[in-house]
Amino acid sequence: MEIKIRTKNSPRRILYLYWRLYSQQLKAMMEYSADFYIMIGAAALTQITGFLFLWVVFSRIPDIQGWGLWEVAFMYAAIYMSEGVGSLFFEGTWRMLRLVNMGELDRYLVRPVPIVLQIFCTGIGMNGLGNILIGGSIIVMALSHIDIAWSLQTVLLAIILLLSAMTIRVAINLAANCFAFWIRSSGNAFPIMIHNLGEFAKYPITIFSQGMQLFISIIVPFAFVSFFPAAALFGKEPWSYWGWFSPLVAILFVGLALLILHIGLRRYESAGN
Amino acid sequence: MAGSFKKYFSLALCSMQNRLAYRLSFILNFIANFIGLIAMYCLWQAIYAGQDQLSLSGFTWSQMQAYLLVSFFVNSMLSYYSESSITSKIIDGSVMMDLLRPIQFQKARLAETLGSCVLEGLLSCILIGFAAIFTLGISLPHNAGTLLLFALSMVSSILVKFCIVYLSALLCFWTTSSFGIYWARTSITNLLSGALVPLAFFPGWLQSVAMLLPFQGIVNTPVTIGLGMTAGTAALELIAIQWIWIVLLWLLGKWMWSRAVRQITIHGG
Amino acid sequence: MSLIETRGLQKVFRQAVKDPGLAGAVKHLFTQRYKDKYAVEGIDLRIEEGETVAYVGPNGAGKSTTIKMLSGVLVPSGGEVLVNGLVPYKQRMENAQVIGAVFGQRTQLWWDIPVRESLSLLRDIYQVPADTFKRNMDIFTELLGMEAFLHLSARKLSLGQRMRADLAAALLHDPKIVYLDEPTIGLDVAVKHRIRDFIKEMNRSKGTTMMLTTHDLGDIEDLCERLVIIDQGQIIYDGKLQEVKDTFARERTIHTQLSIPIPGAEELFRDLPDVSVERPGIAGNDSRTKGATGAVCDQLTLSIRFDRFSCTASEIVKRLMSHGEVVDFRIDEPGIEQIIRRVYDGQLDSAALSAAGKGSA
Repeated sequence: MEIKIRTKNSPRRILYLYWRLYSQQLKAMMEYSADFYIMIGAAALTQITGFLFLWVVFSRIPDIQGWGLWEVAFMYAAIYMSEGVGSLFFEGTWRMLRLVNMGELDRYLVRPVPIVLQIFCTGIGMNGLGNILIGGSIIVMALSHIDIAWSLQTVLLAIILLLSAMTIRVAINLAANCFAFWIRSSGNAFPIMIHNLGEFAKYPITIFSQGMQLFISIIVPFAFVSFFPAAALFGKEPWSYWGWFSPLVAILFVGLALLILHIGLRRYESAGN
Repeated sequence: MAGSFKKYFSLALCSMQNRLAYRLSFILNFIANFIGLIAMYCLWQAIYAGQDQLSLSGFTWSQMQAYLLVSFFVNSMLSYYSESSITSKIIDGSVMMDLLRPIQFQKARLAETLGSCVLEGLLSCILIGFAAIFTLGISLPHNAGTLLLFALSMVSSILVKFCIVYLSALLCFWTTSSFGIYWARTSITNLLSGALVPLAFFPGWLQSVAMLLPFQGIVNTPVTIGLGMTAGTAALELIAIQWIWIVLLWLLGKWMWSRAVRQITIHGG
Repeated sequence: MSLIETRGLQKVFRQAVKDPGLAGAVKHLFTQRYKDKYAVEGIDLRIEEGETVAYVGPNGAGKSTTIKMLSGVLVPSGGEVLVNGLVPYKQRMENAQVIGAVFGQRTQLWWDIPVRESLSLLRDIYQVPADTFKRNMDIFTELLGMEAFLHLSARKLSLGQRMRADLAAALLHDPKIVYLDEPTIGLDVAVKHRIRDFIKEMNRSKGTTMMLTTHDLGDIEDLCERLVIIDQGQIIYDGKLQEVKDTFARERTIHTQLSIPIPGAEELFRDLPDVSVERPGIAGNDSRTKGATGAVCDQLTLSIRFDRFSCTASEIVKRLMSHGEVVDFRIDEPGIEQIIRRVYDGQLDSAALSAAGKGSA
């Protein structure tokens, strides 16, 4: 008997399946409304205290190596917002450890849907909404305080930079969480460590040593989430042209993350052994 | 009494053993926090930009370096893993098992936390030792009196932090996930304890508010004592305030536990 | 080509070796030792379309590991596997489209959403045509009695309900092959029967190939013609269920109730090989034998064990009846249960088993 159904998924079908899986999770989440608000509130609180920190520091000094309060706040918010997008729409990456350790990937593997899509839809982090709301507000406030000559070109640039930044962040999350396939006893510590490297991208990377600059530009490219987009938008020489590589870096890292996932899946041992 | 102490001591040992069993996770978690320290260090380095005379809110560069190291040391005590071992008991329902045993939940968790703190303290000493080699000119406590007061305030700091962590963990009886509560607690604690930035940098009103709350006992008290910025009777006063909070929060914990246990019976386990 | 084919299929897991206690933990810090554990060690298996195969063995024999390799969950460490002409772990998506799986311990359903919605989500995932979906839903709801819980979320289902819903979920897209890993574990008798009837019906009406692992010997007797026994990662028997019974269940026992005692009944069967007489009341330490009346009573009960290939039941009964009246009798044959239990206990020679298997092939 021929298999009549095409198992190669078109982008439209992928989006449809994502929507179906995602909306079911969302419905399920609504049952725990207390958690819902606590998560959003906690994320917002974290960002506000982060911004308060910047504000306190900048109340004592005019700038950090030529970067003012709002310029640094923009970078700060970009990191938080990308984290928010990761949590709200791709939270499942953070559940990888559980999926691997408890053998829950079994049921994903017997379904004709790309694994990565099923992983993404394993959960929803409502904290992401808090991050996006506050992060978005700070970005808007920052852009209104900074003198930028807005044109169609800069708007286009901003959109491309933003999309690439979010994609890069999610790819980093996915790749880091794939660690669960290799070291199963370490909890989420490794991906959290990678996540914390984002701390370096909250400030102009010129304050770090050159080795560190290279590390967060090339190895774990958090600089493409915040610093390079900021430098490109604010015209900070000599860094402003690096931002143009953002889409390329995004594609590269998505490919890399998927590769790591597929190598990891070959090592998957299910549970009970 | 001795028997009672022994069972909590065993719990503390067990918790140490558990940390060692998950050593990789323990060390990675530590490095994750260390990344934050490095980022902060570089940030302040850029701010001071090699100006030795520059003093921001009473902090010179060398004092700021010491502040960062000591606050990292203080803050790395009672890490996420101790906190999550309390919350996960509540979230996954294994707290029921504890109710079946002849131990007090609050004391048992304290014992486990202290057990882990021994290892956490050891590891952070090593890392800070490393850091101290690379950063010159930092001023750690140099006389015996300061050192003694620092040690005392340090122990009290762990207890204050435990009480706050314990109280917030008990809130998990009313939720289905611990993350929101953990994040909220962390951000409030970090800001108001002086872990993010010395309280002296705050505008006056915020500084007064912070001093009225228990959080400042976690970082501000031991660090200012360790740096010799607070000494003598002023230091003793701060330690006394820590203890007032420990007693109050401990009792509050007992009261909240009795409420929380009722919550279990309502849900029927 | 067979529907499922494996050659020398292997799976190796690496296990950490740890010493107990704090000292052990500290020691493990510096020296890490691992050992390889062969969960599946060279399995050759062919399953044809429409077969129902029971895959049994003691805990840790490698049953689940095999099923997971066949279904594309685990990547084999060695050997080959072809399912429906596909390599499951390489052509995962294509394979997933034509198989269904129930892992008894773990649900396929979404924990927090109603069963009905889980099933409609699966319809989208497997791209089940609308008419097929409707037809299957009607049949499944009827056969599995799902009406009562379709509106509940998986979290709220009893184990029996969950298993029925899982079965529906696995068969919704008319898969060619269904893997059932412990489908009746922990269920009560009524639900077990319902599930077995459903599996039989699907196999009969749709020709679905079924492979099930189980500890429940009722499942095997009820569902499967073919039995594959695996122990320590290797197949030790593969053949017809009846054949293994004939080979290892030659023994029969006649339990009789007599009208008068027959002293020296053993003498009656002296000339027949492999016959033994037991007096259940007297031989055992049964408390009933303690009383005087009990002792008399038990004189009237005899159990005679014999090999059904050496003599017949009628021969035994005839000889008894020549010495007295047989009030009542019944014949016991050992169930597959006892045979497998003996395999588990290592009492049966695996060489003899595989010889029996070859006989049937």
